[in-house]
Amino acid sequence: MSMLTRRRSEARQTARDLAPKRPRTRRRSFWIGVAFASPFIVGFLGLFAYPILASGYYSFTDFNLFQSPDWVGLDNYEQMANDDVFWKSLANTLVLAVMGVPLTIAIALGGAHLLNTPIKGQPLYRAVIYLPSIIPIVVGGYLWRWLLNTQYGFVNYFLSWFGISGPSWLQEPDWTKPAIVLVVLWTVGGTMIIYLAALKDVPHELYEAASIDGAGPWRRFLNVTWPTVSPVTLFQVIVCLIAYLQIFTEPYVLAQERLNNISSGPDQSMLTYAMYLYQNAFVYLKMGYASAMAWVLFIVTLIVTLVVLASSKRWVHYGSK
Amino acid sequence: MAQSETQIMTDAASPRELPATRRTPKILRRLRQHGLVIALALVFIFPLLVMISTALKSPQDVFSSPPTLIPSEWTFNNFATAFDQIPVWRYLGNTMLVAGLSVLGTALSCPLVAYALSKVRWAGAKPLFIMVLATMMLPPQVTLIPLFLIWNGVGATNTYLPLVVPAFLGTPFFIFLIRQFLMNVPDDLLEAARLDGASELRTYATIVLPIARPAIVTAAVFQFVWAWTDFLNPLIYLNDESTYTLSIGLYAFFGENDVAWGPLMAACTMFTIPALIIFLIGQKFFIGGISAGAIK
Amino acid sequence: MKNSFFTTSRSRRLGVIAIATTAALALAGCSGGGDADGPTTLKFSYLWSGPEAEVLETIIDDFNDSQDEIVVKGVSSPDQQKQLTSMSSSNGSFDISDNFGENVGSWAAKGVLAPLDEYIESENIDIDDFAPAALEQMTHDGQTYALPIAVHSFQLLYNKTLLDEAGVEPPTTMDELADAVEKLTVTDDSGKISQIGIGDANTTTTLTTLGFAFGGSWSDENGPTPTDAGNIEAVDWWQKNVVDLVGADNLADFKAGEGQYLSAEDSFFSGKAAMIIDGEWRAASASEVAPDLDWGVTSIPAATPELENSTQVTSSTLFIPTNSKHKDEAAQFLAYLLSPEVMEKFSLTLGNLPARTSLLDSDAYGDLPNFEVWGDALTSPNAQSLSSAPYGAEYQTDLGNAFDDVVRGKSNAEKALDYVKSRSKSYTS
Repeated sequence: MSMLTRRRSEARQTARDLAPKRPRTRRRSFWIGVAFASPFIVGFLGLFAYPILASGYYSFTDFNLFQSPDWVGLDNYEQMANDDVFWKSLANTLVLAVMGVPLTIAIALGGAHLLNTPIKGQPLYRAVIYLPSIIPIVVGGYLWRWLLNTQYGFVNYFLSWFGISGPSWLQEPDWTKPAIVLVVLWTVGGTMIIYLAALKDVPHELYEAASIDGAGPWRRFLNVTWPTVSPVTLFQVIVCLIAYLQIFTEPYVLAQERLNNISSGPDQSMLTYAMYLYQNAFVYLKMGYASAMAWVLFIVTLIVTLVVLASSKRWVHYGSK
Repeated sequence: MAQSETQIMTDAASPRELPATRRTPKILRRLRQHGLVIALALVFIFPLLVMISTALKSPQDVFSSPPTLIPSEWTFNNFATAFDQIPVWRYLGNTMLVAGLSVLGTALSCPLVAYALSKVRWAGAKPLFIMVLATMMLPPQVTLIPLFLIWNGVGATNTYLPLVVPAFLGTPFFIFLIRQFLMNVPDDLLEAARLDGASELRTYATIVLPIARPAIVTAAVFQFVWAWTDFLNPLIYLNDESTYTLSIGLYAFFGENDVAWGPLMAACTMFTIPALIIFLIGQKFFIGGISAGAIK
Repeated sequence: MKNSFFTTSRSRRLGVIAIATTAALALAGCSGGGDADGPTTLKFSYLWSGPEAEVLETIIDDFNDSQDEIVVKGVSSPDQQKQLTSMSSSNGSFDISDNFGENVGSWAAKGVLAPLDEYIESENIDIDDFAPAALEQMTHDGQTYALPIAVHSFQLLYNKTLLDEAGVEPPTTMDELADAVEKLTVTDDSGKISQIGIGDANTTTTLTTLGFAFGGSWSDENGPTPTDAGNIEAVDWWQKNVVDLVGADNLADFKAGEGQYLSAEDSFFSGKAAMIIDGEWRAASASEVAPDLDWGVTSIPAATPELENSTQVTSSTLFIPTNSKHKDEAAQFLAYLLSPEVMEKFSLTLGNLPARTSLLDSDAYGDLPNFEVWGDALTSPNAQSLSSAPYGAEYQTDLGNAFDDVVRGKSNAEKALDYVKSRSKSYTS
């Protein structure tokens, strides 16, 4: 990373040196910029700006897709405040995030350490661990339903080796969330590889110095590794949190009992925010209510991200090297 | 960036070896490390082994308790059933078409925009870059409904347009990725070409694109995986079976067949193989690309 | 920098862009439509799939061969959740499709369905021949918006062998049923259920049907009535006599290990469930999947003598969406599908009851065992249907969740249905 920053400042320096020589007029380069950026300008207006405004408008209407929207003011937001299922879906989602994010970070960092050990065949192991991430989530979901089957699945069979009588993962409300987190963790390979890259950037001298001071592996981790990779951890935590707040496919597939059966698991324990939003929009055709939910999700995402960023001053260490 | 990218997949045995923990003999330490890494890899690959083994089992065998990994009797009937009930080739073709066009769109549009945001000095560069970052943060649910209404309004639901066109208009994440890469390209390279009188488009095509190739390939590979595994968009936009991509086709198959695990696992296996092949071909880029993306 | 895709000549690059654009445009244009001179192409999107879709395709072929003005193209599109949204597209995505009776009112209220009265007249569809319990669901504000091609009723199936072994007669009252369930439920030494007295094909259907059988009603002209006394009694009956008998956890474990519905491993077909409340389609799959099973079927036991022959009637309907551009042709095809011969062929292969009462006596259904029990129920005064109101989808989800709570022992009948009542205030009207 240090190399990168250096290069970047070099580039800036060069740019400054060259600036006076540039013969081009400002206006010309403005149009060149517009021309090159035009795909995104069109995309931004059509795929982001207009839809954001439109969903803001729909969130104040009663709209069923077939009849034109009816302005209802804050009704949707009020209804949301009184909707037990809305709160349940939000709580489910937050519980998943609270369970999933620390586990993801811990497993990814631990796994990256293992993948960073100098043994033969590492490229193969890395590939194997990343493999689940490229498999369609639907495939993963069904596969895990089978693995988690109480009678015929391997998970409870393995647990029985240790004398543990495994739960009915997808039938008991208390166990559906661990099941979802388990399925998501199967695709932790991507996060692990990012950590692997970060570990490779930790200066070797720091470890040597710590070793000379008599630090054991755990102390070395706490004093050297953790602070050095903390900026990457911040990035990972935010990306992972946002992904959990929007989680849809895994719980949707795990909860589905039969096609055309609207299912959200026992005691609605798998109903995540994004699932309930989807149900409102595309099953009940309450487009206004769903739009209001989308905006609340946006605000929740912003708040959570800001909280994490604010906390980061205490635990993220930027290169003192 | 380039360093870690190439290193990650290739360094089999890094020379950096810590002198610490001298108490454990080297051989034992090596063995322990090997054991742990293999155990980790096994945990990740085991579900896939179960998938393949279940696909090769007879129905009685599938429902055996305790479960077994090796089929007592090998059968390909599940594959025959799956082939019979799922238009496998059509789903594969549809998914390839969607993924291929998305990749083409990303490769065409994202470097253009990234170039405008990094190497063209104009007033819009900074505000537009902020917009790129802001849109990366936006939950897709916010735009879901209006976008559906737009595509619906122009009669494009049940076509691949809603799945493919956005890629041609630049995906924020990939623009960001390529832009970060281009920021590191020294300006004098471009200036030299400009001073030679090359047009901006020519400079872009002959200098920028070749340099940015690793970042573009990374973006393309990511885009392929996204399109290949996408579920929500096909779920919303594709209505009849003839247009289904494999994610949604498999979902429909499962929904109708409930717990017919043998054929379902056979179908899952068939839909995993192409991804596996593409993964093996593009391995270096997949994993290198992720690390490139992490370093900001 | 060697010879990459990006450094090829400019014209080549443009060529690629042009091809991509053309491909994208080609993707857009796949909706059918008839030319002025050629035959009209009708798109028939149906929820059926697999073997049922194959039968339907042969019927479509027959129709296409029978005349040369209309060419029907069938498309299997089994996901119901998408069907409705796809009809909102400005250029119609299909011209005729199928759904279920309970959705007619809700869809008609949104203006999605084309009224059929005019076509019923022009195509001479003999509406009086259709099962009355099913027709109720087809109308909204005095107009007909859909017509049933097949109807379904729910009855009590029982495994003769298991009943004989336990010395139990097929029950005729709810008390006898409770008694039978108790005698037919077997647990092994560890307390696990090895045979259940009464199985459960689909909790929502089973319990709404029982609600009718206890004289309850699930809605009236003012909206949902989940807390109707009969409904509470029914759900309470189920909790006491089926759930509490074995314990909710034990029941959940049994359900988790159940085989696929209607497969050879199905609880009823494999002898793990002695009785089950289910629809007439089970007769056809029994002959196919479990030919050795000795089973019988009887009316749902009566809570009181006045409630004899109670059942729930549901129907598979055909409709024409408002945004179809070929409504006249679609109506012609609709009339063909509903004609006695075609309806007979279709319902027979699916093992469904025909919607035309005149067909109920047809010899064609003779091969389906016990079929008449389901058929006779159609004309019973106690045959009822769920209302096809706009709030149907939300109501059914909430009922499903409430029933689920009861079955898992997390709630009781009154509390669970009260909860649905409180939810129902925010329903779409």
